Order: sequence, then C-alpha cells, then structure tokens
Amino acid sequence: MVILFRLLVFPGFLFLFFSAMLFDWVDRRVIARFQERVGPPWYQPFADFVKLLAKEDVLSTGAHATAASLLPVAALVAVLTAALYVPVGGIAVASFEGDLILVLFLLSVPAISYFLVGWISVGVYSVIGGNRSLLQYFSYEVPFLMALAAPAALSGTWSIARIVAYQGQTSWGLLMQPLGFILAMIGLVGKLKRDPLDIPKAKSEVIAGPLTEFSGRKLALWHLAMEMQTVVGIFLLVNLFVGDSRFFGWLPQLPVFGLKALALLVLLSMAAVLYARLRIDQLADLGWKILAPLALLQFVATLWIIGL
Amino acid sequence: MVQVLESLESRLRNWTQPVVRWARRKSPWILHFNSGGCNGCDIEILDTLTPRYDVERLGILKEACPRHADVLVVTGPVTRQTRDRLRRIYEQMAEPKWVVAVGSCSCSGGIFAGGHNVVGGVGEVLPVDLYIPGCPCRPEAIIDGIAKLLGKI
Repeated sequence: MVILFRLLVFPGFLFLFFSAMLFDWVDRRVIARFQERVGPPWYQPFADFVKLLAKEDVLSTGAHATAASLLPVAALVAVLTAALYVPVGGIAVASFEGDLILVLFLLSVPAISYFLVGWISVGVYSVIGGNRSLLQYFSYEVPFLMALAAPAALSGTWSIARIVAYQGQTSWGLLMQPLGFILAMIGLVGKLKRDPLDIPKAKSEVIAGPLTEFSGRKLALWHLAMEMQTVVGIFLLVNLFVGDSRFFGWLPQLPVFGLKALALLVLLSMAAVLYARLRIDQLADLGWKILAPLALLQFVATLWIIGL
Repeated sequence: MVQVLESLESRLRNWTQPVVRWARRKSPWILHFNSGGCNGCDIEILDTLTPRYDVERLGILKEACPRHADVLVVTGPVTRQTRDRLRRIYEQMAEPKWVVAVGSCSCSGGIFAGGHNVVGGVGEVLPVDLYIPGCPCRPEAIIDGIAKLLGKI
C-alpha cells in the first residue's frame, strides 16, 4: 500500500503532475511580472492541457505513425522513472548506490526522443529543429554531467540521498562548489530547452522545432513531459546543491524543499527574461570553450580538496 | 461487450464535455495570417499582443504553426494569389477551429472589393465565425471581439 501510494500519489505521478502545472504557471507569471503584465490565471496550464487532449490528432502524410505515438510516451516514462529516484524533501520511492547515474541517463532519453520525433515527422522545420536539438545536447551535456559529478566526488558516493546526508554534515553544495552550481544551472537551461537556449524550437526561426507537425494528444503529452522534466531537473539540483535543511531545522522538510525549488525556478525565469537567444554556433562555442573547461577546473579542484 | 464499451464512452464524453468546453474557452491559441492587406491591421494585432494589453490573461498565445492553433486570425482582403494558401492553412489546422476576420478588408474586401486581383472578404473562402470591422480596428475592438468569440465557444 505504502509503495503504491508513493508511486501514484506522493512523490509519484499525481504530485509530479500538479507540480508540473504549478511550475509552469509560476514560470509564466514571473515572466509576465517582469514584463509589467498580469500574466495568466492559475488554471491556465490545466486549460491548455485539457484543450490539447481534446483536440483533433493530425498526423502529416509520410510520418511514422507508431513512432509518433510511442516517442512522447517514451519521453514521459523516462522522466517519471527518473523522478522515482529523486528524493522530495527526503522522501524517495526508491534509491540505491549509484542512482544519480541512472537519473542522469534517464533524463537524457527525452532529448533523444525529441530528436527522433523531428526526424520521423517529415517536415523541414522538424528535421532542422531535431538536428539543432542534438547539437545542443552535445554542447550542454558534458559540462552538465561534470558539474553534477563534482558533488558526487566530494561526498564520495553516487547516491543522491547520501549526497544530501553529506551536505547535512558539512554545508550546502552551493557554498562548497559555487562554480559547479552555476554550470549545472546553465546546463539545466540547455536540457530543458528554455529561453535563452530554446534554439531547437525557436519560434521565429524553426516555427516549433520537432513538434511543428503535432497537435492534439501527442502535443499535450510532449508539453507534459517537458514540464515534468523541468520539475525533476530542478528537484535534482535542489538535492545536490542546496540539499541540507539544517538552517530551517524547526520547519517541516517538505515546504522548505518546495521553497528552494521555487527559488531555482524563479532564477530560471529571470534568465529567460534577461538574456536573448543564442545561435547554435554560439552555444557550441560557449559549451566547449568556456563551460567544459570550467567544469573540468571545478572537478579537478574538488579532487584536490578530497586529496588534502 | 462492444455495446457496454460504447455506452461507457458516450457517458464519459457527456461527463467530460463541460470541462473540455471550459478548457477551449480559456486557452485559445491564435495564428495570424495576412491574406493581402496593407499591414495596418497586422500592426494592430501585434499591438494587441504587447504587454500593454496582455492577452495572456485570457489564455491567448500566438502560435507560429497552424497545427497548434485554434483560432485563425485573417487580415486583409483575400487576393487570388493567397486564396489557395489561406485554404491550405485552414485545412492544416486541427479541429475544432475558428476563423476571425479582422478589419474592413477581410470582412468584405473593403476598398479593394471588385479589384481584378481580389476575391473579396474571407467569407468567400472560409467559414468565418466572427467579423471585426474597422480600418484598422483598435486593439480594444479586437480583444472585445475575441471575448465575444470565447462566449460563443
């Protein structure tokens, strides 16, 4: 019973679904406030989701029907499976030594299916968007992985729960590895394809990228997978970099965790408002010439500190 | 077995219909198409989408792709050259879909009506749900029109 409750309600599917809707709304609202607008009401993500579910499902001629319906499900399943191993306020459905590696692997499955869905839906914009998403993947993934490996190396474990426990004994990962935190945030922006790194789905250049040809249920599932990926990615960074809640010892863990996650989300929204979109070649330059060496520096510094 | 499933499905549909109608009313994504106008109404539509009028309050988002959009907003008279393209864009949109004609020209052809290269208003080509006259029409008029369209949904 307990495991079923954890899988389906908290911190499983329902919790993630409502968090995804809440995060989407907060994100849009914060961006609207920065632009001196009011922004959408709280039920906006629900309305969008239901409307897309009820819309006609058009498939363009020549597209692979089976793959088109399987790929959004694959992305969603990968994100949900990754969420099982990410603790929410200290509660995870499952955990084992090395779950960080599994989570990182599962979180890159949506990127692959995003590329594939562009490839199989025969539109020009879809193919260009899919290629861009792969190029983007190769640019952000290396610094992102190295930035997330540094806390693991520092705590001497690949288990997310134990990294959090290690921070409880010492201090926030954010304070011990500020550079790594910044790199991980930039990598997360790239992974989630948010502004300013929304190169694969840039509206004025490639319409909607790989999702251009999709409508109805498939589009709704894709949106849901992307929003859930945002939630899981933010939860992961909260655990790895601000996991310790000793400072708030007198408060229950869960609201503190939620506040931290919302703070990171607001940081992402601010980045979306402040910075203009990069070109794909600029992102490749940034990724390989600046971010990857910095991530290496962070990693080597961490190893040096361990050796002391 | 099949009958049971069918009755279950229809009952489910009856039950979800109010929710779906609510969702459609709250989240109209628009696609903007200029079928040969003078750009005046296009500027007004862009005005409507600026932070000053903030139509995201009503759930309105501008989509770049016909497949994602619910409402096709057409400006300008339909010329012979754009007629087929307008029709093709309409056919690419997923059901349910609505068409809004913005500006005098797209309502009736305007001052271009009867021209050798002009078919007429959008109503000659597509089933139009809402006409918003004006030359060009103000953003307030467009928002009022969209709100009336949402009431119709």
